[in-house]
Amino acid sequence: MLKYLIKRLIFGIFAIIAAMAIVMLLIYTFMDRDLVFAKDPMFTRQTSNARFVYMYAKWEEYGYLDYVPYTEWLQDLANKGEIDEETRSAAAAFGRTPEEDSEVVQEYAARFIEDYQSQGYSIVRKDAELLGGRLAAGGAQVFFAHRDIPLLNRLFSYLGSFITVDSIHYSEREDPAGVGVENPGVTFTLHDPVYGGKKFSPAIIGNGTEHKYLLYFTSDFPFIHQNIATIKLGTSYTVNKGVDVFATMTQSQGSYVLSDTTFPTGLQEQAADNLHEATYSPGSLATGGEFLQARYTDDYTNVDTIKQSYAKLGFSFVIGIIAVVVSYLLGVPMGILMALRKDGLIDKLGTMYVIFISAVPSLAYIFMFRAIGDSVFHLPTTFDLEKGSKLMYVLPMISLALPQAAGTMKWLRRYMIDQMNSDYVKFARSGGLTEGEIFRKHILKNAAIPIFNGIPGSIIFAMTGAIITERLYSVPGAGGLLTDAIAAYDNGVIVGMALFYSALSVISMILGDILMAVVDPRISFTEKAR
Amino acid sequence: MEFDYSQFGLSTEELFSHVDNNDLESEKITAPRYSYWKSVFRVFFRNKFNIVILTLLAFVILMSYLYPAFTDYDRFGSLLDMEAKHLTPAAAIEKFGFHIKYIFGTGGAGESTFDAIWYGAQISLSLAFICAAINMTIGVVLGALWGFSKKVDSVMIVIYNIVANVPYILLLSVLVMLFRATFWTMVFAMTLTGWLGIAYSLRVQVIIIRDREYNLASRCLGTSTVKIAMKNILPFMTSIIVTMLAAEVPGYISYEVFLSFLGLGMNDITLGKLIYLAQNAMVTPGWGWEFWCPVFVASIITIVLYLVGQNLGDASDPRTHM
Repeated sequence: MLKYLIKRLIFGIFAIIAAMAIVMLLIYTFMDRDLVFAKDPMFTRQTSNARFVYMYAKWEEYGYLDYVPYTEWLQDLANKGEIDEETRSAAAAFGRTPEEDSEVVQEYAARFIEDYQSQGYSIVRKDAELLGGRLAAGGAQVFFAHRDIPLLNRLFSYLGSFITVDSIHYSEREDPAGVGVENPGVTFTLHDPVYGGKKFSPAIIGNGTEHKYLLYFTSDFPFIHQNIATIKLGTSYTVNKGVDVFATMTQSQGSYVLSDTTFPTGLQEQAADNLHEATYSPGSLATGGEFLQARYTDDYTNVDTIKQSYAKLGFSFVIGIIAVVVSYLLGVPMGILMALRKDGLIDKLGTMYVIFISAVPSLAYIFMFRAIGDSVFHLPTTFDLEKGSKLMYVLPMISLALPQAAGTMKWLRRYMIDQMNSDYVKFARSGGLTEGEIFRKHILKNAAIPIFNGIPGSIIFAMTGAIITERLYSVPGAGGLLTDAIAAYDNGVIVGMALFYSALSVISMILGDILMAVVDPRISFTEKAR
Repeated sequence: MEFDYSQFGLSTEELFSHVDNNDLESEKITAPRYSYWKSVFRVFFRNKFNIVILTLLAFVILMSYLYPAFTDYDRFGSLLDMEAKHLTPAAAIEKFGFHIKYIFGTGGAGESTFDAIWYGAQISLSLAFICAAINMTIGVVLGALWGFSKKVDSVMIVIYNIVANVPYILLLSVLVMLFRATFWTMVFAMTLTGWLGIAYSLRVQVIIIRDREYNLASRCLGTSTVKIAMKNILPFMTSIIVTMLAAEVPGYISYEVFLSFLGLGMNDITLGKLIYLAQNAMVTPGWGWEFWCPVFVASIITIVLYLVGQNLGDASDPRTHM
């Protein structure tokens, strides 16, 4: 069994990686990259060569290509100590046309071109655009190298950075020119300074790491928190700028929750800052001004804030999970009743309902549920994070649960009726078992097996949220993330969401099979038993 | 020994005539001829309800394909008439006089909702029929092959797992971006990976039937694989295929509505696009007609298609032919 599961898992991971490759191919190769600028007001303001450079700089930010300006390359050389500042500034002053270049520039330009062409980059050099002997607006000469990132490089570097393990050398890597932190290392304390340093609460504090707190305890679920390994799905560029997709999904939303906070300097204040999630930001204390200097003693100044409401994933999950429970509570008894009273009134009504849900477009019936909930039951139809009551969860949940229940009803009825006609039921009857006994102990048990297969999937996919439902009731959930990202060409988020969805589907399929094997001992995945 | 039959009032004529032994004739079975499709329709029409929904389906199809041919539909025809917008049926009839055009009122551009619905239904139905035809053909042929051959199975399972993991909305957005959102782009987008699901479900059914004893017996007797596929397995599949088709056709209409809602639909007026455009009108009191009429007609169309398909699927199961 274990061997089989590991095999399944490996195949699943392979399928995910291949799917990621297709997704990347679709986004970075097939999608028209000029569309990025369709809604960009900055782009229309640029003219001439400046617009040209702007395009490449943006494309690099969106992850399409690698873009290296000549001057940046020189700066790199200077940082590495290969050339001195004087040579750098002399070489950086490249002429309006290649003919006007000085000798130093010619030498370095040739080296730049040779360096990058050998790596497969294309070199672009555009002459200055002149208007009556003077530079036109944005017409300065440009000189850079660019290369589309090869698919495999992209794929492997993405997968490589999927799980990041924090290390005490983080600050050195992040800030090579600066001083970094003094004596990097990890300390263990029994009295967490965030709680004033008196309360007993063990914590592991890093110095030189990305996160200040590597391990700590809070009073919130799951009580013990770690920052040693973080999942990174890809950085957002437009939807939630600079924030990782996984963080976008898991950050709390709504208004700030103020509480008594003791900052590292000892300052006590009502603040919403979550000091446990402080991350390293090089040189921030020195440049941060009085505000930061009054509160922090080191460069770990980048903190999260605590907000009152669930994260996107949280909202989707709360609504989704209740909907799943309700749908099984409705669907299973209804399915059983329909099979039991086949061709009776309940069966006919139930079948009508199932047909309604399967045939009518989902958009139409969700609108119907909303209209009925609004006019008949006077339930709130929009989500309000600030002053909404618990009642606002009811309609989105019902709108999700009712269609799901129809699916359960349909299949449970089908499986039960198929079982009723099988030989072992006739045999049980001839053996003198009562109808109730046959029903409970034989038919129901056998018919429920395929239903069990679907349970993990429906629970796991409750997390991803439903696009239509969340949009109709303005639920701040995770359902619309992928479509929003596609609309905003947020490539990092698209790739991240695709990985998230495919990982969930592989996991839920495996869990479904495990649950089926647990419920039904006859099912075995080992080669021998088959 | 001769009897004098006449004394009993009987004729002396020979009553029986001799028939030569005929091997060919003796092989024939004198039972009523069984025709599969005739029985299917006999069972289908036995239920009077089916006649009603079939008539309704015929009406829907005729309306969608003939009505637009006889009316000029111009969405922005009365755009400048400020009085003609967002009218309820009663107000529209009062304004324009009674005409079948106005029984559903008018929409946001002053166009007749009734006309718009049948125009949209024509495109939505065509899309659904064409997509279903392409996907079912490819899906059934490849699904049968997939179920039959273990070699094909090992390859196809991998392809299926990979393709199922690529978000469909992403694929569609890229295609729409590449080719613009025309009718044929939608057909292409929906059929590019749409057949995989059908092929997969058919594969499962073929695998269930494939190793049954009678197929093993056929193979032992030297029946060719093609004949086993056509005569032994395909008859089992007919009702499954028809049932799948029943869910497919309304499925594409629903999916088109969903895509329009996300803003990924076609540029032409379809049922989905109509519902999407009228969404905002729905929250304004008195404008609800604009939204609910297309929703109502779309629901009727999908329900009728679904019921006809389901009942035809039931009727095509030979076990119901008794």
